[in-house]
Amino acid sequence: MSGSTKWGGRLVSLAVFAALAALWQVLSMVYTAEAQPGEPMVAGWQVLFTRTFLSLADYWGGGFGVPTVADGAERSYLAAALSVISNLAFTLARLAVGLALGWAVGFTLGLAVSWSRFSRGLVEWPVQFLRALPLLAMVPLFQLWFGATFLGQSLFAAYGVGVIVFAGTVNAVRNVPQIYIENARLFGASRVTVYRTVILPAILPAMRSVALLCLGAGWGAVLGAEYLGAQTGLGFIIVYAQQFAYLDRMFLVSLVFVVCTSASFFVVQRLFAHWLAWAPPSARA
Amino acid sequence: MTDSRAIEFVHVAREYTRGDGARVAAIDNVSFLVSEGEFVFLIGPSGCGKSTLLQLVAGLTPPSSGSIVLKGREIEGPGAERGMVFQRDSVFPWMRVIDNVEYGLKCRGVGAAERRAIARDYLARVGLAHVERAWPRELSGGMLKRVAIAAVFANGGEVLLLDEPFGALDYVTRRQLHQVLLALWDAPGAKRRTVLFVTHDVDEALTLADRIIAMREGRIVDDIPVGAARPRNDDSLLAPEMVAIKHKLLAHLGLETAGHSA
Repeated sequence: MSGSTKWGGRLVSLAVFAALAALWQVLSMVYTAEAQPGEPMVAGWQVLFTRTFLSLADYWGGGFGVPTVADGAERSYLAAALSVISNLAFTLARLAVGLALGWAVGFTLGLAVSWSRFSRGLVEWPVQFLRALPLLAMVPLFQLWFGATFLGQSLFAAYGVGVIVFAGTVNAVRNVPQIYIENARLFGASRVTVYRTVILPAILPAMRSVALLCLGAGWGAVLGAEYLGAQTGLGFIIVYAQQFAYLDRMFLVSLVFVVCTSASFFVVQRLFAHWLAWAPPSARA
Repeated sequence: MTDSRAIEFVHVAREYTRGDGARVAAIDNVSFLVSEGEFVFLIGPSGCGKSTLLQLVAGLTPPSSGSIVLKGREIEGPGAERGMVFQRDSVFPWMRVIDNVEYGLKCRGVGAAERRAIARDYLARVGLAHVERAWPRELSGGMLKRVAIAAVFANGGEVLLLDEPFGALDYVTRRQLHQVLLALWDAPGAKRRTVLFVTHDVDEALTLADRIIAMREGRIVDDIPVGAARPRNDDSLLAPEMVAIKHKLLAHLGLETAGHSA
């Protein structure tokens, strides 16, 4: 693709964004219904970036010498910004722990399936059973097991991520061309070396899709876990705002959420593009 | 002669179970000796067991009965003293060309500087010094074969197993690779390696072989020494004794009835 068409493509995307934003603005002016007095169903940008954003200061937990609204302070942009950052940080922390744990367990167990007959027997059936349990059905269970704790929310995300990583890893390893494994063994590679130098790189293109898939699932699971009793995080703000029909806050926080998920997808894609420099372009895009 | 036996096949058999449950003999009681430094071809129609035989020597599959002895030791699995080049591309796409050539040496714990020097040497000998940092996907099929050959030679195995390595290449590239292979095998000052080469290509066998073993239905049906002087060219293949061998081989491949041209 030439440089000019690439930029042309970006311009089109930008134009679509602008058009959608404009459409929203028009909608806010045409459809002026309110969920409650002073709370528009569709809040225009001039509201979202001023009053709505300021109202997020309500969820600031305090610190850095910036007083909380609960302590009687006025709403301020600084408190609002800190509120967004801190709640986002809590969400990201749950996501990070969930992803790390889910990957560690799912990936290890996934590799174990192909390692030996024994490890396969040990792992495959129980995990296939876990896979069959729908994630959302596990929500109440996790709530009762762990309460509204950071650990419980992270474990829930880890569970959602782990089953995807497990299934993806098993499938990816199964599809590694036998010739590479044989070739490595003929060169005198030990089993560990075969895994390190052949299996791991060979499954990388397939794991890229797995990574993107479970990133989406991870965000969804964290948000889901936060809907259910967390006292911090973007999900918490959305649910809390919902109870008071603060539609503008819900919309704004959702936007923050969308920006963050998009950024995380972008990072993962770039990372894999870097790791997959050896692969044909079709496996990298 | 001192013990120059490189590979000894002793009543080797390999059976497998077909999809319909029937037991089929891919290799049926095969015994022969390969001397050190000998360039041996295995030739025969598809399904005659020649590739299976190579797999057994490679140690990728065990024989059902009998044994294959490599310099006094029975083969029990793959080992670095044997190197194999496949028909399909076996070069690791995730390693740069030079890292592919170094792979076996690295597996055996050869130091970084030493293995890099060895790899560079062999890459130069197969004419690929200029692409040592390239990714395999940037190379043509013929170049990938050169990488694979450089890699097995660099690894230092005394026995080379070539399973129709040039079968998927065009005529010109194949001829070039014959020269590359011969130059490495017959390098001055170096000990000749023992080669087992599986092919369908009669001319390929006649050009390169010390000895041609014809197989059919899992058995050896002929064992023909090829005495023509090296290096051989197209005219060598026209010598009466070579033409006679060619007719024999074509007959074994089912392309001629013995004694009569098709």
